[in-house]
Amino acid sequence: MALVDPDFAAELKAYGVDTALDCFNCGTCAAICPLNFEHFPRKMIRYVQVGAKQKILQQAQDLWRCLHCGLCTRTCPRQANPGELILGLRRYVLAQFRRA
Amino acid sequence: MAQKKKPALAPEPTPGGKVGVYVCHCGGNISDAVDVEQVCAQARRVPGVVVARDQMFMCSDPGQEMIIEDLKSGLVDRVVVASCSPSLHESTFRNALLRAGANPYVYEHANLREQVSWVHHGPEATAKATRLVAAAAAKAARLKPLEPIRVEVQPRALVIGGGVAGMKAALELAARGQAVVLVEKSPFLGGQVAQLQELAPEGETAAAVISELAGAVLGHPAVTVYTCAQVEGFEGYIGNFKLKVVRKPPLGATYADRLEKLSKSGQGLGEYVPFVGVMPATIPESPEDFDLEAGVVVLATGMRPYQPRPGEYAYKNFPEVVTLPEFIRLQAEAEGEGDTLMLHGRPIRGAALIHCVGSRQIPGIHAENEGGYLNEYCSRTCCAATLYAANLIRDRYPQTKIFDFYRDIRTYGRGQEELYTQAAASQVVFFRFEAGEEPQVLKNPDPQGPPLLVQVKDVLTFGEELEVPVDLVVLAVGQEPNNIAGLVQQMKIPIGADRFLQEVHPKLRPVEMSVAGILLAGTCQAPFDVGETCAAAGAAAVKAAAILARGFVELDPFVAEVDLSKCTGTGACVEACLADGALSLVDLEVAGQKVRRARVNPVMCLGCGACVAVCPENAINVQGWTLKQFESMVDLIVSDEYLEGA
Repeated sequence: MALVDPDFAAELKAYGVDTALDCFNCGTCAAICPLNFEHFPRKMIRYVQVGAKQKILQQAQDLWRCLHCGLCTRTCPRQANPGELILGLRRYVLAQFRRA
Repeated sequence: MAQKKKPALAPEPTPGGKVGVYVCHCGGNISDAVDVEQVCAQARRVPGVVVARDQMFMCSDPGQEMIIEDLKSGLVDRVVVASCSPSLHESTFRNALLRAGANPYVYEHANLREQVSWVHHGPEATAKATRLVAAAAAKAARLKPLEPIRVEVQPRALVIGGGVAGMKAALELAARGQAVVLVEKSPFLGGQVAQLQELAPEGETAAAVISELAGAVLGHPAVTVYTCAQVEGFEGYIGNFKLKVVRKPPLGATYADRLEKLSKSGQGLGEYVPFVGVMPATIPESPEDFDLEAGVVVLATGMRPYQPRPGEYAYKNFPEVVTLPEFIRLQAEAEGEGDTLMLHGRPIRGAALIHCVGSRQIPGIHAENEGGYLNEYCSRTCCAATLYAANLIRDRYPQTKIFDFYRDIRTYGRGQEELYTQAAASQVVFFRFEAGEEPQVLKNPDPQGPPLLVQVKDVLTFGEELEVPVDLVVLAVGQEPNNIAGLVQQMKIPIGADRFLQEVHPKLRPVEMSVAGILLAGTCQAPFDVGETCAAAGAAAVKAAAILARGFVELDPFVAEVDLSKCTGTGACVEACLADGALSLVDLEVAGQKVRRARVNPVMCLGCGACVAVCPENAINVQGWTLKQFESMVDLIVSDEYLEGA
């Protein structure tokens, strides 16, 4: 049972992640992603929306699977920019590791 | 009795009849299973038939023209069309007869599609078609020209319900020069819309909408408004409804809250007060009633918001759980200008909105409501209203966060999808739940946190269980029809499985009831928003005005007729009659002697034939369906004489 943290999205702004709440969870990004890996990158974006910080840190290595091909960003119907979001999350995760 | 005979439509055809038979292929629908040419060939051998023709589509212009030609040239004076079901095209062909200058009732219809080609195949199909056509032709030869029953119309409309639908219908009727009586049960005009503030999706205020409508209604000389009034007696028929209206003080404290709000507002009669409406007149001190005659009745009895059961989403368990209409009022009356919404002095930092409360309930999954029913329908308006409220809060109180829990979101109308887009842009966080796995509203175990905790198995987060601490839970309740069981029973009008009033045809006749002269407007029919309600009310008003403006109505003459040369006044028919007032015994003078004889009120008669069955003298018949006509049909069904090779 994860507690929803609505302030997390604001916290991520410092790392250049500010489009997560534009996403309406259609899954186009996950369908087109050449990694074809679970629900990547939608899953990460959803975790940002509900503020599931721990989930992101636990699954942080997945962020480095991304090839940054840009297909998700190009096909996103909401211009939520999933590719840039993944890069921003990498920055966030690195900052957390440094702090730890 | 307000009844007149119209001059004859056409000279009476020669007795015996020259029957024309017209058999339709229905583009293969009939001719794939039935040998249409053979049916025509056999029909020509039926006594009385002078011509039998076939056509690919008899309902097409060339098909109708063919019939009209034969009538005009004098070749035929009775018509049988053998085609689809009479409910589809009988009126088409009766109108063709009218255009040919013939009486529209010298027409008989044989159904070769639903009753033959769609259910039978092979030679039996053609054999059955042949017998049906022969029977129809035999009946047609005995048909007599009839006159439609003409009834004068009381030049007045009664509108029941003083909400948006009723006021709009009354105004549209008045604008067409018709007198209107508007009856409202409560002391107020404005209905449920007066309980709202801004209307999704465009955001017009309820105050503006109700003030404009009520002002126009109260200011129009053709509209008479009775509040605290109910219809308690109903009889009659289209053009001549007789109603009893009772005005009485409301029971107990039904409207105490609104009356108190009105007196505190300092506003007077006829002025709009938010969450009250417009009170046009004082409450009567004692019951009074009066009779009213009206040519048409418009039902605008409206809806009520679904009231959750105590405990449903913890409603009534915690004061922080409210319905959307309750929230709209709380928000409108909230004090303070800060960044955070304040309710009763309490900051609302997070609010959960839950969709589909009391709507889209599924048998076996959701508990039945008090009356043992489920609201299986979508109330349509709640998604837009909920998103509108979410956007309004995000816009005015940026520090109040919104969590939106939906099963599905349908923002179906113009300007509504934009509400969804705007909600996402306003950082509303959405959660999706499955039917049967509705969010749980609990007390927050963390004493430092907000009072409530919403738990949900979130589809969007891959079925993970999430918890959202919130200060407020808003239940987006649906629409239920108002309880008008009394009216439904008196008027004998149909209601659907969803308990809303049921129109004649959902697409082609959407504002008419099956009882002629009764129209329906607004949310007594289905969940509507204000714009849809006005569209429906306008349509109902124009339909009603058309009936009133014409001044008379014509009814099909398929009603009982007494043969006074045979009637001995046994009264058996009166006893058997199913329609009150359709048959009675009257005193007549026949050859200088006073006798009692049956008399038909053709306007009340249902044409059911119960009287025909019981008359010991065979002195009563239903016009267009006489016993002699039936005998001729049976004779031809059992006869083989006209068949080829017989």
